Amino acid sequence: MSTSEMSRARRHLETTKKMKEMLPRFFTRMIERRFSNEPLAWCMVGVPPELLKAFDLLWEWPENFGTMCASRLVAPRFIEVAEGDGYSQELCSYVTNTMGYCKLVKETGEAPPESPLPGGMGNPSMLLGSGFICEPRWKWFQSIATRFLDVPVYSSDPLSPPWDVDPHDPRIADHYQQLIREDLFGQVEFLEKQTGKKLDLDLLREIMALSHKALAYWRDTLALRQAVPCPMGSTDYFSAIIPQMYMVGEAEAVDFYREIYQEVKARVDNKIGIVEDEKYRLVWFGLPPWFNLGIFNYLESFGAVFALESTYNVGDNFEVDLGNPLEAIVKRTWQRALRMHDYGSEVMPELCNPAVFGGFYGSKLLDEVVRDFSLDGAVMHLTRSCRAVSFGEVHTKNRLAAMGVPSLIFESDMADPRLWSDAQIKTRLHAFLETMRRQD
Amino acid sequence: MSKQLQGLARATHIASRRDERICALKKETGKPVIGYLCCFAPPEIISAAGAIPYRITGRPGDTTSEADAYVEPYGCTYVRNILAQAAKGRLDFLDGLVISHSCDMVQRLYGVWTYYRPLAYSRLFNVPHQLTPWSQRFFHRELGFFKESLEQFTGVTVTADQLKQTIARYNRNRTLIRELYALRRENPPLIKGSEMLDLLLAGGAVPAEEYITLLEETLTEVKARALPDPPGPRLLVWGSLLDDSTFYRMIEEAGGSVVTDDTCIGFRVWDQDVPETGDPLEGLKEHYLVNFQCPRTDRGPGVKRFDYILERAERYNVDGVVGYIISFCDPHKFDYPDLRDHLKKADLPMLLIDDNYSFTPAGAIKTRLQAFMEML
Ligand code: SF4
Ligand code: SF4
Repeated sequence: MSTSEMSRARRHLETTKKMKEMLPRFFTRMIERRFSNEPLAWCMVGVPPELLKAFDLLWEWPENFGTMCASRLVAPRFIEVAEGDGYSQELCSYVTNTMGYCKLVKETGEAPPESPLPGGMGNPSMLLGSGFICEPRWKWFQSIATRFLDVPVYSSDPLSPPWDVDPHDPRIADHYQQLIREDLFGQVEFLEKQTGKKLDLDLLREIMALSHKALAYWRDTLALRQAVPCPMGSTDYFSAIIPQMYMVGEAEAVDFYREIYQEVKARVDNKIGIVEDEKYRLVWFGLPPWFNLGIFNYLESFGAVFALESTYNVGDNFEVDLGNPLEAIVKRTWQRALRMHDYGSEVMPELCNPAVFGGFYGSKLLDEVVRDFSLDGAVMHLTRSCRAVSFGEVHTKNRLAAMGVPSLIFESDMADPRLWSDAQIKTRLHAFLETMRRQD
Repeated sequence: MSKQLQGLARATHIASRRDERICALKKETGKPVIGYLCCFAPPEIISAAGAIPYRITGRPGDTTSEADAYVEPYGCTYVRNILAQAAKGRLDFLDGLVISHSCDMVQRLYGVWTYYRPLAYSRLFNVPHQLTPWSQRFFHRELGFFKESLEQFTGVTVTADQLKQTIARYNRNRTLIRELYALRRENPPLIKGSEMLDLLLAGGAVPAEEYITLLEETLTEVKARALPDPPGPRLLVWGSLLDDSTFYRMIEEAGGSVVTDDTCIGFRVWDQDVPETGDPLEGLKEHYLVNFQCPRTDRGPGVKRFDYILERAERYNVDGVVGYIISFCDPHKFDYPDLRDHLKKADLPMLLIDDNYSFTPAGAIKTRLQAFMEML
């Protein structure tokens, strides 16, 4: 890779451009609190952020920190430090990014100057891991707490039924929900002990109501992308997930998602697409190359737009009764599992907390997706260091081929730009578009 | 042929023809063969349900391009190898399949395999990563579902007593294996690491009763051996799955002696007995979830989680540790730096071999092994 080959995303929506003011305002508030040593949890996707907010905790997502380090092209610096420590290049690059970062913090006593946020990720007082989606997401915290930080860890551990078991069988449903429920109680008990506070269920309910409201706008926004021409593309999509990760349960986040909905709706009504001449409508599978989101704009320059992404997809599983907010978390998690099962979970048998996101692969609902979004093809990013999300791309490719939908798999990584080979990838993408044109 | 051979010769014979042996057994008994991967779904239950448990093994170094039609090139090379075996039709003798959710890769192998090549019986045995009371309750329920699904498939109802008897038989195997392992606490060790692994591999392809005889014969045979030459450095092998004795033979050729291990198929499964509890599923849960040491299970942060390795190293008077990790094996790759540092503090040097499940290039691996032995 060379730095000049990487380009930042150009967004199309006014609302996402506004994040440039909204997020720094939020981060400044958060960083002030971090500097005054308020309790801070590092957590993994799958941990319900609403719960953390109900405990008035500060939180940081090392996964997201990985995306920020990637987009600022500082990830290789941290990853190389971790590699020097014996961490394999094959391990998730978000993990090695954090490992290198933590090592530097331990050695120097402060956040490395390259860190994207002032003060880096702060000094956590606890680590909240999760077995959602992949193994690295709890091994990671186990290693951090072994090598770098002597803080308590709680890793949640939900499981979901495999593709060939009927989740509607009441015994199976109970079997899995019992685990999700008891694990959630364990998490609450841990948080109560660490914060010295009792969980305020009324507050949790209020936060969840706001969170779900924001998610409902986001879900409806994503559905609007079925329109031709497509009113919103991937650069806006991958940016707009950030407010829900950090500002969950805040009125400002609800406003943000309402505005994005309204803006996208207006574009649909006025038939405004993101490219002038929409030639190809695509679906994106896998994590994006955060260090080079400009690749989406590159494809747009040939009239190719992504109407849908398989990752960070929220679905509509949050329509649950909030009377008992903890049970609501159990239910929405379970509904997510059911939804994944409906998609056909043979290659992605994991569930994910819909408060943030999950993915879809599988066999059963693909034709629905292709039809509803009028898709012409699929581009799949095979991330070398994240097999959890890229596993299943070949299977999905097979499934799409059976439906007559062409697809391309290209290899790189989500956070490690050393695995990006610009000329080769662009040639392949270009050739793929050409094949689709010939098929027209 | 294998019936005329005895002890180690017989074990080596079976280990090199495991599938032939199992097909013959299937023919003789008329029982269905259930293949399994990983060590969480108890073969005791398969056996008690009137089926033949068969530990599936790969073929190191064999082509895996047949797997490309179904899975990505990045991923545990062992899992890719197994899928390629299935795709080549080499596992068609299996009537059923149970794969436990040990690591991400194996869990996903299950879906792809059963989607493209469905079997008469298949089951994903789901396993939590934590050891909390609720994870243990889940595992216990999962054992029940597993038993039930097998009963439906074979038509045999498994009573608690039958299951207890089967567990007792398997425990007898465990005791004998530990006795054989103990023969390597001595110096020089009476049985080689490669011989021991072949014996264990044979065990995955014969019924427990027959295995008892094989182990007893081997024990008598080995105990009567004249002491071999004093060996080179005494080693513990730690790491991902090793289901082929080639690697141990490479170590032996380089002058080392594998006296114990912490690997699947190896000592991880035999180190302790299944507790013989009133509710047999309870004992199986204790053994297969709580006591079974695999880095895919969360035993909390801190190096205490490796103490059992240090204890074993001490018990077997080990000079050094060889780590063997298969490419893209997350659970082991995560643990390696912590383990290496912990061993270093205990003055135990460690050599890591990162391999794509082919033991190649053999020359380079041997050179590294030799250099390590010399250093020891
Ligand atoms: S899902 Fe992939 S990127 Fe995310 S933590 Fe797991 S391995 Fe890393
Ligand atoms: S070698 Fe590692 S990645 Fe492969 S199946 Fe075993 S534990 Fe999983």
